[in-house]
Amino acid sequence: MREAWIDILVTSFRDVANRLAFVAPRVLAASTLLLAGLVVAALARRLAVRLLRTVDFDGRCARWGLTVILSRHGIRRTPSETLGGFVFWTLFAVALLMGVEALDMPAAARLAALAIRFLPNLLVAVLVLVIGWLLAHFLAEATLIAVVNAQVSGAPLIAALVRWLTLAAAAGVALTQLDIAREMVLLIFGIAFGGAVLALALAFGLGARELARDALEGWFRRREGEEPDRTSHV
Amino acid sequence: MPEAERLERILTAESLAAVDALGPMELVVGVHVSGQARYVGQVLDAVRAGLARHFSGLRTALLVADAGSQDGTRDATSAGMEAAAPDPPVRYLEYAGPRHRGRAIFAILAVARHLGVRAVGLLDCALTGLRPEWIRELLHPVLDAGVDYVSPAYTLAAWEGTLTTNLLAPVTRALYGKRIRQLVGGCAGLSGGLIDRLLGSDAWRSEWVAHGVEVWLPTEALAGGVAVAEAHLGRKGLDPGVQPDVATTLVRTVGPLFALMEIHREAWLDVRGSQPVSGVGDPGAPAVEAEGREPGVERMVRAFKLGLKDLLPVWEQIMPETTLSQLYPLGLLAPDEFRFPLPTWARVVSDFAVTHHERRLPREHLLRALTPLYLGRVAAFLLEARPRSPARIPEILENIGRAFEAEKPRLAARWR
Repeated sequence: MREAWIDILVTSFRDVANRLAFVAPRVLAASTLLLAGLVVAALARRLAVRLLRTVDFDGRCARWGLTVILSRHGIRRTPSETLGGFVFWTLFAVALLMGVEALDMPAAARLAALAIRFLPNLLVAVLVLVIGWLLAHFLAEATLIAVVNAQVSGAPLIAALVRWLTLAAAAGVALTQLDIAREMVLLIFGIAFGGAVLALALAFGLGARELARDALEGWFRRREGEEPDRTSHV
Repeated sequence: MPEAERLERILTAESLAAVDALGPMELVVGVHVSGQARYVGQVLDAVRAGLARHFSGLRTALLVADAGSQDGTRDATSAGMEAAAPDPPVRYLEYAGPRHRGRAIFAILAVARHLGVRAVGLLDCALTGLRPEWIRELLHPVLDAGVDYVSPAYTLAAWEGTLTTNLLAPVTRALYGKRIRQLVGGCAGLSGGLIDRLLGSDAWRSEWVAHGVEVWLPTEALAGGVAVAEAHLGRKGLDPGVQPDVATTLVRTVGPLFALMEIHREAWLDVRGSQPVSGVGDPGAPAVEAEGREPGVERMVRAFKLGLKDLLPVWEQIMPETTLSQLYPLGLLAPDEFRFPLPTWARVVSDFAVTHHERRLPREHLLRALTPLYLGRVAAFLLEARPRSPARIPEILENIGRAFEAEKPRLAARWR
């Protein structure tokens, strides 16, 4: 009885010790990888921000109108800090995956390999979304100003349509890049785009009768030779 | 002039040889042409007549540079050159690089310096009302009175040159302290010394120089503190050809004006008040004359109200609430009683200049967003001028200038 009890104790202790001997180095390796990833990511962020500031990235973004778009959407950091943050989180995510892989858990088997294979597509998709988002706001603002200057009413509606169509196109490209339900995305985008055009036609003809009338009247006035603006400005 | 822009790199070999064949010159007149094939002959005739009549004792030449015409200007100029008497000689400048007004004027000035001239006259071929006497008025002050830059001053109807009278001239007056009447006049007289200064500038590399070079020339003279005079030339005749729309005109004129505020920061920040510039020519020539074809203001007021309704999200990025709150009541006024108070207008322009400086918005968007406000101001100006005799309209112009001078300290404080 006593021997059996001792045997069980020794076996349990040995099993736990064996398991600990198996897991501890992996946990240590995972922690080391996470810590190293954190340090490398922080250094890379600092380097990226410094590099971007050297090439006057913030000034260029201000000139291109990106800074104002970022601040309009609640992003108070400078563009170089924002991009630096992106570099940090990308590298830290890679370190996290390596840490998970180092743990050698059955549930996370080949997770890192899969994620790293997926990462380039994810980065491209994020880039497409960011560019699409910036382009959407730039085009919407340009449209708003141009339509108002052409003295056509309904400029905010037209500008909003331009913004959402551009965003939808960017989202479609991003999802296709990620290979997520490619056929479905194409189908949805086709239906949404066609629907938007139809809605625009209906809105223009029915909902926005006044706008349609104004635009057509203006066009006919010009065709019929209504006196143009003769003011010589300069 | 940068090494990369030596004359042999600016002109084609054939053009350079033709220019070299002229030998040293004392005075040249450069005509820049942009789609005026119909008028180039008569403009060249008027310049030739002016040079022959008023500068017969000097070695003179006429230079023609195309600023991007697509209407056979080259052939029309050649025909005019062949039909003309050999004196004064005419040279058509074939230059390298993009074809636009900035590059054409650069080529003319580079050739003028190469020839060692004491004075150069610059003329836009769109000035179809050019008279031979204008050549004398533009160039005599440079040759005989030590003036470095002669700017034209025209007799205009109230509805003509409204961007000049309501924005370009008063802003320039407030910034540089000189009451110059015409910033973009289509012609000018320049001294050899000023040409050296201009050719040495980095401004030629600016993107706005293509269309804004005529804003830059007088501004550079005013900011540089050289001697500036105005030549009273009477009525201005202008080629009625295709004109850019209002928004594009604002981009091409107000854009360079604001951009030059950055370059000449030190020259204008501490200037207060203004001085008149000396005049030559007919001093009795009126600044404004009656002209019965005044355009209606309804469309302009409509443009302003539409801007106030739809463009507010953009204007909110440019103007603070204190300025916007002065604009809201204007949207309630009927077209025939529309007003745009001068202090408000000066404040609006000042806010746009500061936003341009701080790059809070893409600059083209910013300048185009000024259009409804400018049209509103023009409508108010025309309504104010309508009941007055032409002799009393200069009072309004003086008030506009004073309003911008009063706004100047706030502008300077915000700029710093």
